[in-house]
Amino acid sequence: MRKSILRNIAIVSAIGMITFSIMLITNYFQVRGFNPLQTEVIETLKQINDENANNIELQEQIRQLDLLARSAYFVNLDRLKLGVYILIGMLVVFVLTLRFYFAEDKQLPGKQVDPVDDWLIKTNARKYIGWAAGGLVVAALLFVFLSSPHLSSGAPDNEKPEVIAEVESSSDETQLDESPDDSTVSSESLDSLESLSSLNSSDPSSAAVTSNAFRGNNSNAVSPARSIPVKWDLASGENIAWKSDVPKHGFNSPVITGNKVFITGADDQARELYCYDLSTGKRLWTLAASNIPGSPVQMPKTTNDTGLAASTVATNGQQVCAIFATGDIICADMNGKRLWAKNLGVPQNHYGYASSLLAFGNTVIVQYDNSNTPRILAFDMATGAERWTKTRTDKITWSSPIIAYINNQPQLVLMGNPGITGYNPNNGEQLWRVDGMNGEVGASPCSAAGRVFGASEYAALIAIDATTGKQLWKADDYLPEVSSPVATKDNVYLATSYGVLACYDAKTGELKHSHELNTEFYSSPVITEGKLYLFSNDGQMFIYSTNEDFQLLHSFETGQRTFATPAFTDGKIVVRTESSLYCVSEKKS
Amino acid sequence: MIIAQNRFPKPDFESGYEYPFFSYQIPNETAWVVFDLVMLVLLMSIVAWAVIKRRKRKPVFWVSIVSVAYFGFFRTGCVCSIGAIQNVALALVDSSYAMPLVVLLFFVLPVLFTLLFGRVFCAGVCPFGALQELVNIKSYRLPRSVTAVLEMLPWIYLILAILFAVTRSSFIICRFDPFIGIFRLGGDIGMITVGALLLIAAVFTGRPFCRFLCPYGALLSLFSRVSIRKIKITPTCINCDLCQRACPLDAIRPPYENKVKESRVQGVKRIIIYMVVLPLMALAGAFLLQQMSGSLSRVNKNVHLYDLVVKYEQNPQDVQPLEVEVFYAQGGTLEELTGRVEKIFAEFKTASAVAGALIGLVIGFTLIGLSLKRTRKTYEIDDAACVNCGRCFSYCPQNHIIS
Repeated sequence: MRKSILRNIAIVSAIGMITFSIMLITNYFQVRGFNPLQTEVIETLKQINDENANNIELQEQIRQLDLLARSAYFVNLDRLKLGVYILIGMLVVFVLTLRFYFAEDKQLPGKQVDPVDDWLIKTNARKYIGWAAGGLVVAALLFVFLSSPHLSSGAPDNEKPEVIAEVESSSDETQLDESPDDSTVSSESLDSLESLSSLNSSDPSSAAVTSNAFRGNNSNAVSPARSIPVKWDLASGENIAWKSDVPKHGFNSPVITGNKVFITGADDQARELYCYDLSTGKRLWTLAASNIPGSPVQMPKTTNDTGLAASTVATNGQQVCAIFATGDIICADMNGKRLWAKNLGVPQNHYGYASSLLAFGNTVIVQYDNSNTPRILAFDMATGAERWTKTRTDKITWSSPIIAYINNQPQLVLMGNPGITGYNPNNGEQLWRVDGMNGEVGASPCSAAGRVFGASEYAALIAIDATTGKQLWKADDYLPEVSSPVATKDNVYLATSYGVLACYDAKTGELKHSHELNTEFYSSPVITEGKLYLFSNDGQMFIYSTNEDFQLLHSFETGQRTFATPAFTDGKIVVRTESSLYCVSEKKS
Repeated sequence: MIIAQNRFPKPDFESGYEYPFFSYQIPNETAWVVFDLVMLVLLMSIVAWAVIKRRKRKPVFWVSIVSVAYFGFFRTGCVCSIGAIQNVALALVDSSYAMPLVVLLFFVLPVLFTLLFGRVFCAGVCPFGALQELVNIKSYRLPRSVTAVLEMLPWIYLILAILFAVTRSSFIICRFDPFIGIFRLGGDIGMITVGALLLIAAVFTGRPFCRFLCPYGALLSLFSRVSIRKIKITPTCINCDLCQRACPLDAIRPPYENKVKESRVQGVKRIIIYMVVLPLMALAGAFLLQQMSGSLSRVNKNVHLYDLVVKYEQNPQDVQPLEVEVFYAQGGTLEELTGRVEKIFAEFKTASAVAGALIGLVIGFTLIGLSLKRTRKTYEIDDAACVNCGRCFSYCPQNHIIS
């Protein structure tokens, strides 16, 4: 009787354990990876709130949902824990009942499962190990094969560590705590979020998001900056943090790193690099590109809409480099101390050299397409040592290089005439090339989701699969002349010189939208926070949504003609106009 | 609740609400650490005395209860000798890493005791082993040809744990500790479930975690082979087979007269082939794991962050993950992060190759070990597998003669 009761208890607890285990495992996989604060509803409401900050009712609704989501998450966790306690309780019951059940029996394993022949056991074991090892090898090979694109991003090219090593050596590098905790107590401390909080910025006043070259990081015209103002006016000073004069003229765009803004200016007398304080707009220093061996005494001829300082500077946060239509390239540290300078040979260019510099790690890349010796050059930003150079076969262009991350692997992409070409930025090795451009190529390429897009007036808008280097599609409804396109994973946007802002499907090339805006665009569109910002030449700002509706969200006159592309950092836009430099920052009322 | 608040950003209040200041009470840890060490030495000494000197099981059973209660539920399974492997490995490669003395002692003391008396630590002092021992009801056996394969797992686990520790990526032994959640009555639900399942398995077979997963057990099994004083089969053995059948770990080998029909030359040839293939296995392991190093490195938090940042910068219109938000808020740039990550990739490439070679060697040496023919005239204890639990004593009809 007693044994029978014990047996039944054991069976019931065993069934309970199995049921609970299945439920807990299922629940665990449901809860795992769920972030209560990033639900679609909350995110959408937050986005609406960003666009309309004065809706108190909406904010209250977000708070309520936020609280609800947090509560639901922790209640769910508590229930899971309770389930585990019940499981453990059942296990205890199960063990105890079985112990009592077998208490009277001398516990002995009933049967020998192995044969008496020891050698046979070993022979079988060798066989199983052979199978297991073979299985491991197959699984490993399969894993390597399946994850190869991912792996390739992890496996740097031979040259890459060299490039990066120098970035690492920078003295004020921010450090992530790499050491696991100091005792076995603390595996939790390795949790990413917690450890991220140990990041220390070297400069507390630094802007959180850099815009380190023409059209932002990687020159790709997408910025991670947040809280960007959507309205300002130079005349009334609305949301204008500061406005400063620029000593010398230039069409180049501002670049931001830390609390510094860089632009250049030039005339027949001097070529200069300027550094401004991002917070105050005060000009911190000026560095003249002078006394450079090989620099021409007579300035090369340029047209008024290009000038001697059309190229935007590039910085890696430690050094800043600038180039002028004379072929002079100069690099300085963050305090304006000249580190090196050289003349690359005066470029033969009937409008004036206009390609912007590109920062890639500690390397500055120069697209030096001209009529005499077209080539790409890569220099160490700190020393000026040439890392690599590549002769180009393309005709003269005015566009600028970009870095496209394809499967997390950087590719250097250049527009050319006639080719759009992908290179390895570490050594200049050509990865792919697609011909299709002609005329005067001024727009730069752009990239998103593994695709590269290049466009030029009188030629075409071409989409390329950068993993294979194959052309995906071609369109020619609307094409840019000076302004460069920008892409998301779904759409490609471009602005023409005759005032059309067009949106193409990134996958098919189908023209989705076109807006006739009756103005002229030289400045390039930039996407941030799901919005496209675009200046017209007469200084009108257009802000469009980058969702499928592609709606005009805001449009207003800023007050000054603007040809340069603005630079974005958290909460701020730095704009260069025809005659000044100003910073937009939302003023809290 | 405090942990929960740290996990997500705090809610935004515009009502002037001030968050309460959390104060953390710091316990007198030094005293407890000393007591931990005293308990460790004391319990190991009791087990050594019970199994070597007295040949009694009961003290080991009580030590198991004390260990589960003290090291397990009271001290919540930490510091543990198993996890200390990672600290020691990291300290060996990184001079800047300051390893606490208590961690070193928790690693070294069981090794010393093993050299002297066999795996007395595993017997009942390790709370993991003790817990499995206590729940064990029936010791159903697995075929030895299968356990020979499974017994390679702790070595592979050990190698991977060291790989992730020396690359400062993760302490995987702690992260995937199946019993810590049970001892702490909370934690990662998945690991608690795994722990519960392991315990259920332990009800029916002897110590599945110790035999087929524990990396420290693998390490101690090396030392226990050469320990000075260890459990022996009674010299007055009457070949009753009871001890062998009672051993839950299948660590007692019966007498075996080598009557292998295979010729001696053939056996020697096999061993020579394995010896020749051994370096190739190491090379193959090194190659394979090196190929996987990119993916393995994703365990590293910097690499994980890098992936998130790159993904976000490619699709800035997407919702910004919290990690990326913090990264940017702290002034991080992709260039700077790329620099760090490239260094980690390089480290992983080398370390993975070494780890792969070691895994190849583990498989190779296991095969060689299984190719050796031996004749046993009496019952013998497999010193590597024996955990000094003392189960066999009460079954041995001759045990009283020497005890």
